[in-house]
Amino acid sequence: MLLLLQQVVNGLIIGSTYAVVAVGFSMVFTVLRVINFAHPDIFMLGMFAGLAAGTYVSHSFVVVLVLGALGAGVAGLVLERLVIRPLRGRDVLMTLIATLGVAIMLENGMALLKGPDPVPYPALLGQAALGLGGIRIGERQLANFAISLLVLALASYYVRATRYGRATRAIAERPDVAAAFGVNVDVISRITVVLASMMAGVAAVSVGALYGSASAFVGLLYGLKSFVVMLVAGNRYFEGVMAVALGLGVLEALVTGYISSSLSDAVAFFMLIAVLYFRPNGLFGSYAA
Amino acid sequence: MTPLLEVTDLSVRYGAVPAVSGASIEIFGGEIRVILGANGAGKSTIIKAILGLQRAQAGAIRFDGAHDLRRLRPHQVHRLGIAWVPEGRQLWGTLTVLENLRLGTFADRDTARAERHIGEMFERFPRLQERRNQLAGSLSGGEQQMVAIARALVSGPRLLLMDEPSLGLAPFVVRDVFALVREINAMGISVLMVEQNARQALALAHWAYLLETGRVVESGVAAEIAAKDSVKEIFLGGRA
Repeated sequence: MLLLLQQVVNGLIIGSTYAVVAVGFSMVFTVLRVINFAHPDIFMLGMFAGLAAGTYVSHSFVVVLVLGALGAGVAGLVLERLVIRPLRGRDVLMTLIATLGVAIMLENGMALLKGPDPVPYPALLGQAALGLGGIRIGERQLANFAISLLVLALASYYVRATRYGRATRAIAERPDVAAAFGVNVDVISRITVVLASMMAGVAAVSVGALYGSASAFVGLLYGLKSFVVMLVAGNRYFEGVMAVALGLGVLEALVTGYISSSLSDAVAFFMLIAVLYFRPNGLFGSYAA
Repeated sequence: MTPLLEVTDLSVRYGAVPAVSGASIEIFGGEIRVILGANGAGKSTIIKAILGLQRAQAGAIRFDGAHDLRRLRPHQVHRLGIAWVPEGRQLWGTLTVLENLRLGTFADRDTARAERHIGEMFERFPRLQERRNQLAGSLSGGEQQMVAIARALVSGPRLLLMDEPSLGLAPFVVRDVFALVREINAMGISVLMVEQNARQALALAHWAYLLETGRVVESGVAAEIAAKDSVKEIFLGGRA
């Protein structure tokens, strides 16, 4: 029983990071109709921006989080301006291939700069662990989980309760109608890419602090899983994406605890096949592309 | 007198297929004008071209004598005071009634004024007040049309473009919608309507255009157009 609870807790923690990256992925797709395969590498850039901030600017976790988010946000803005905007309205495959090209360039560019192996991350948080009735949660894990939940809550508040968030959902459902009612679709699209990138940046610093390392190829795993989460959840409700991401984290942790850790990365793809077989529009439905 | 909206020699193509070929229409302040035509005649394409949602290949679209709408993007067209009731309502079905109306006021940065306008719409449509927190997609066809009209009116437009407002509605709801159009016009809002329900539209409008394969083939005072044998034959179910 204790193992089960421990694995559920571990799963929720990793799942919360998937959720942050996946919601960003999903926001960009629903608003811009772009599968942004560079999003995971914006995550990676955020991690390295945090690493640079932690090394040269401050050892304060909050300062590093903010600078990591800003670094990722600027990278997102440049990506939107140079790659996504010129290709808006073209075939979805065109932006997919273009952003995939950017992803490959970013990963290999960073590998060229920092080497292909993981590099140590500044020690931003302590190593203490809390015991809760036999379940152990590290201080870093707790921080990672709390930050992810805070980012998800803020994202949910933004899309549900703010003027621009409403416009974001309106564009997701009917972009033409939104434009005809005074919404500047380009501005909302730009804001969406920057927000999604900043969210990824926060998650990336948090993951860097959790595992104590950064890698040029870290985005690959998070990116693929986030993409799967979006497909499984469907892109109609961001909260659905969050729920599926948390569920994926828990499933992976249970497979790791009870079957084999070597199978855990395959869980997402089993989940994808099973769900899409029965519900091709995802568990919570999708907007038409 | 300068027309509120003046469309001159408008041509729109979808790829190689012409949808509108040299159509000219205009509407003056305080008028209701209707564009009649069969499916595929190009009626909705004219509306979309005015809104900036469909690029025109040739012609001019001027609003209030000064603004060249062909140079503007859809959100800029809306900000001039042009609102739209789209064909098939096209509400944001996953948003609530209140959120739909709030999006209708998106361009208004004065939140207090926007909320006041929304309040006025709820007074005008008490049924929507009851359903304010319900998802728009879950409403009946008539209620959805009310939301679509209220969403267009909350921005305080000078010109309302209505695309097939009677489409898919029960006959008693259609009567209500046309009565509402008359009320809207009485508020000083000009209405340019695209409609296939010719009998009721002609009874309501001041002026009418007949569109065939993208060309205006007849135009004139609505009552005179309604009296023409050719119009009775095609649109009003035979000679009276």
